[in-house]
Amino acid sequence: MTQWWCSASGRPWTWEPQFYPGVWIAMIALAIVFGILARKGRLMGESRLVFWSGWTAVGFVWQALDWPIGPLAAGYLASAHAVQFLTLALVAPPLMLLAVRRPLAAAVPAAGQGRSIAMLLTQPIIAGVLFNVITITTHAPAVVDRLMPSQLGAFAIDMLWLAGGVVLWWPLVVSAPQRSWFTTPVRMLYLFMATLVHTGIAMVMLISQFPMYGIYELAPPWDVWSPIEDQNLAGGVMELAGAAIILGIITVMFFRWSRGVAGDNAPKAPPRD
Amino acid sequence: MLRLLRLLRLHRLPAAASLCLAACTAPAPAHGVALEPPLPRPSFTLTDTQGKPYDFAQRTHGRLTFLFFGYTSCPDVCPVHAANIAAVLHKLPFEDQLKATLVFVTVDPARDSLPALRAWLDHFDRTFVGLRGGESAVDSVMGKLGLPAAIRAAPAKPNGWYEVGHAAVVIVFTADDVAHVMYPFGTRQVDWAEDIPRLLKVGR
Repeated sequence: MTQWWCSASGRPWTWEPQFYPGVWIAMIALAIVFGILARKGRLMGESRLVFWSGWTAVGFVWQALDWPIGPLAAGYLASAHAVQFLTLALVAPPLMLLAVRRPLAAAVPAAGQGRSIAMLLTQPIIAGVLFNVITITTHAPAVVDRLMPSQLGAFAIDMLWLAGGVVLWWPLVVSAPQRSWFTTPVRMLYLFMATLVHTGIAMVMLISQFPMYGIYELAPPWDVWSPIEDQNLAGGVMELAGAAIILGIITVMFFRWSRGVAGDNAPKAPPRD
Repeated sequence: MLRLLRLLRLHRLPAAASLCLAACTAPAPAHGVALEPPLPRPSFTLTDTQGKPYDFAQRTHGRLTFLFFGYTSCPDVCPVHAANIAAVLHKLPFEDQLKATLVFVTVDPARDSLPALRAWLDHFDRTFVGLRGGESAVDSVMGKLGLPAAIRAAPAKPNGWYEVGHAAVVIVFTADDVAHVMYPFGTRQVDWAEDIPRLLKVGR
């Protein structure tokens, strides 16, 4: 029977490619919406590099959801699941948002109730809390073991990660509505705090004595490594790759900010008469 | 395969926690399916992986013994059970590891030669015992334990590969030479880790 979305099937893994119609439909929908917005962004002056980075991110989302990473992550390997999480929540959303930030910012109402709703939805504290609630919930063993065997459940987790990533990165990348208090040092702190939870989950995966997730422990074995080695690898991927992404971005933000501060404090040339 | 296994699979019952074991001093296992009445350690002789007769009752007398029927081509249940028990046994103190034995009886003697059986078991633990006998002999042992006989399907793939339906439980005999509990497929490492130290105390 054809599955419309990758879920834990309990069947032995096969390298025979599988077709998941739901993934293709979702990707076509994402590509259409992104394509329209990215084209608008390009017309509004976004660089070609940012435009194509956004399309690359769409490709990353597709790779994370479709065969082979999708089904491997859904029912065989916690490490593939960790790669999927990083791709859907931390890598693809900022790149996609960067390419479409101008049309998105333009779409935010300048005043009225619409602006109030936009202010609330993109409020950094709410966004940070929401992202971490999604991260904790979707990594809880009881939730993962219950949802991943069902296609709808697996779909819900994938979409929550993508949505959580958009929520997390919006205040940083789109920056609309603007907030005067959300300065670069606060942004760096926001990014650092917002990702502490997934670092904690990665630590638990690294030090846990037994496999945390039944779906991976009881799945038809993957001969390359044992379930606990796979879980340690998943923790390592989340910890190291996650830290590299976040700290890399924070470092770039810091140097840009410090250059700007240095520029502001530089001695001004005396005015010529 | 899964449908076949589901037919044969014995479902987890909530009775395990309320078990009163023979000694009644050791804490009862927290997982698995309680056997009421408990099963006496069966007496049978099959061939071990060295080609020598292995008298199960005599060789495992007084030892914590995990008895499991499966086959080395099994894609899911058998390697998961074996890997999970091995992973937990390896975490026990060495003296406790010496008190436990896993005996794996192949239900697919046509494909599981003695060297193939040994190689498969060594993948998990070199001390695991592999036994082989004729189909009727193995089915008869399973019958003694109240397990359904294995169902050997006709080859369904061009390479002649076929599935074998078999009971997916591990029966655990304790030092008092009876089995009070058996563990269905789905038993996690964390469950074994909680129960094995308890099972080691039963009957001592």
